[in-house]
Amino acid sequence: MFQATVRRRLVLAGFMGLAMCGTAAVTRALAAEDVVIGVIQPLSGPNAQFGIGSQRGAELAAEMINAAGGIKALGGAKISLVMADVPTPATAAAATQRLISQNNVSAVIGAFVSSTTLAASEVTERAGIPLVTFAFADQITERGYKYVFQVSPKGTVFGEAQFNSAIEIAKAAGDKIEKVAILYEDTAYGTAQAKGLRAAATKAGVQVVLDEAYPLGITDVSPLVNKLRASGAQMAFPVSYLNDGLLIIRALRQQQIDIPVVGGAAGYIIPDFKKGLGEYAEGVLSVAAASGDLIPELAAKYKEKYGTFITHEALIHAAALDAVVQAIEKAKSKDPEKIRDALATLDYCAGFARGVPGGCVKFDANGLNASAFPIMVQWRGDEPVTVYPPKAAKQKPVWAGKPVP
Amino acid sequence: MGRQAGALNRIPVAAPSPAGEGFLLPIPVDIMLQSLIDGILLGGVYGVIATGLSLVFGVLGVVNFAQAEFLMLGMYVAWFAWRYLGLDPLLGSVLSFVVVFVVGYLVQRLLIARVLKAPPAAQVFLTVGLLIVLENAALMLFGSDFRSVSVPYQVQGFRLGDIFVGAPYLYAFAAALFLSAALWLFLDRSWTGRAIRAVAQDPMAATLTGVDTRLTYGVAFGLGVALTAFGGAVILPYITVSPTIGGQFVVVMFTVVVLGGLGSVAGALAGGLVVGIVQSVSTLFFPIQLQNLCLFVIFIAVLALRPQGLIKGA
Repeated sequence: MFQATVRRRLVLAGFMGLAMCGTAAVTRALAAEDVVIGVIQPLSGPNAQFGIGSQRGAELAAEMINAAGGIKALGGAKISLVMADVPTPATAAAATQRLISQNNVSAVIGAFVSSTTLAASEVTERAGIPLVTFAFADQITERGYKYVFQVSPKGTVFGEAQFNSAIEIAKAAGDKIEKVAILYEDTAYGTAQAKGLRAAATKAGVQVVLDEAYPLGITDVSPLVNKLRASGAQMAFPVSYLNDGLLIIRALRQQQIDIPVVGGAAGYIIPDFKKGLGEYAEGVLSVAAASGDLIPELAAKYKEKYGTFITHEALIHAAALDAVVQAIEKAKSKDPEKIRDALATLDYCAGFARGVPGGCVKFDANGLNASAFPIMVQWRGDEPVTVYPPKAAKQKPVWAGKPVP
Repeated sequence: MGRQAGALNRIPVAAPSPAGEGFLLPIPVDIMLQSLIDGILLGGVYGVIATGLSLVFGVLGVVNFAQAEFLMLGMYVAWFAWRYLGLDPLLGSVLSFVVVFVVGYLVQRLLIARVLKAPPAAQVFLTVGLLIVLENAALMLFGSDFRSVSVPYQVQGFRLGDIFVGAPYLYAFAAALFLSAALWLFLDRSWTGRAIRAVAQDPMAATLTGVDTRLTYGVAFGLGVALTAFGGAVILPYITVSPTIGGQFVVVMFTVVVLGGLGSVAGALAGGLVVGIVQSVSTLFFPIQLQNLCLFVIFIAVLALRPQGLIKGA
């Protein structure tokens, strides 16, 4: 059985290799002065929805930048994206290596999934290629790497914001929360964000009555929900990708648990969440790195092209690509080393950076975008809207079915 | 005793430490009962899924490593039936059963039949090869998306005092029970069923009494994979399907079959219940991540101490 798994992987890798050779050949046929930027995303496997959304964001941004005249500092050079599929952390290093060695890439963006990004960043760091990412596990920017840049805040910051914003909204609605539950998937992303949630709860003096990690591929969440019910928590903070998120919400409804659920981004704010839950998605709150209503013109373009609302991963990857382009403009070169130096001193508050809460892309010594902050979104009909903090909110939050004053 | 149980019932349950590794003993009765019921509902479906694997081994003597891929196939048939015909997966499961039966029959007659008398290594290579082909064909045809159905009872549950029973789990369990009963009737009462059992016991003697063994092998294999496909279809309301879903079930399936005794149909059902209960109840004592660890410890213990399985028989 285990051999079978290995063989399956090998066959898969083989197919992917073929597919990659194809993309590489197409790229070479393009004009010589194009600036090649690598995009690594999980385009297959359990996190494919996120990878596809991220890729679309980067594609749309590249299209719009090219249509606006390309990179001016390089005589209107066009951006050409080369894609690589990184479905799992185990395949990330090899796929990234291949992408870099077969294409003359100036920079790499992506990987969405934190554990995958960690693996890919080992390769980009050694090769001296800047990696601009949206993945936000704390380790990504805490290893002292020179070539890693992160457009969004850290995972623990997301966890803290998820907790604090929810408590603030509850307080404004006149609800005092004393007991909460934290449920999280046990890879880099969930673990980092749960750490932030836990710290914020301790600081606020709120009791965490359930603190449970679960494996990412979980198929039966009833034990988890049984524990949640027994814990007497007044609010639940699940940190999940898509399938686990859907399973959790459905199981809550089956067991008639109606406590507020405040999601931890990822699976809670993509079109598939609404598709999978229908009316039960309404009113679900989640922390997010960005939201389409912060940059309506990009959101409208995206909807026109792909038929769904722009997800935060699409938006942040558009901003990530834009940051790379601005760095190239600044460096007046497509040399990875010079782009890195330009990224390190970038201070950009226009273009797609306006979609990032805080409105700017400016990296600190660790490569973290110091000006960005997480927001809180809430499902209204077919889209999540920004409801918190007040400085970014487009609508008032709804708590327990009533609008918060 | 009853009074004691009542007293335990009232112990407040909220307890885990902030770090998450703590648990309280004793476990209150209602919580215990809840996870027992969850485990039984889960285990009944495991039973049907694994019965197919057991049947194939019992009759053909072939360990079908591709069995879980037929589960995937059954799930896709039910998904497409839901998406394009509007069939509830519980009804779509009948379609899954029929379609996968035909596929299984053809696979047996065209491929498996050629290695029935070959060394076990050849049989393993064939079924593992089949696994790879089916999984990758699904990846090419359906893409790697996760697909789930949306039915009204997905978010419904029944309440019995302090016990909650999720509607999709209950319906899947009922369907699994129904199919098990039908299988028993078929094997026990029908001529074809008796022929299958006869071939399992002694193919030569069966041939001498006028049983067409080649046909019977085909039917047995088709039936085996169709049972697994049916199990896949009925759990669609609470599970999402993807081309690689088989990987999540293959280990559970083999554990069930080994617990129940390889080749034993009744054993597979009992094994399924045991696996479901172990998975569910173990979460009361250990973190959910260790759910399958407990299972495998038992699995290894059974192999070491009672290699013929917990239940021996037909």
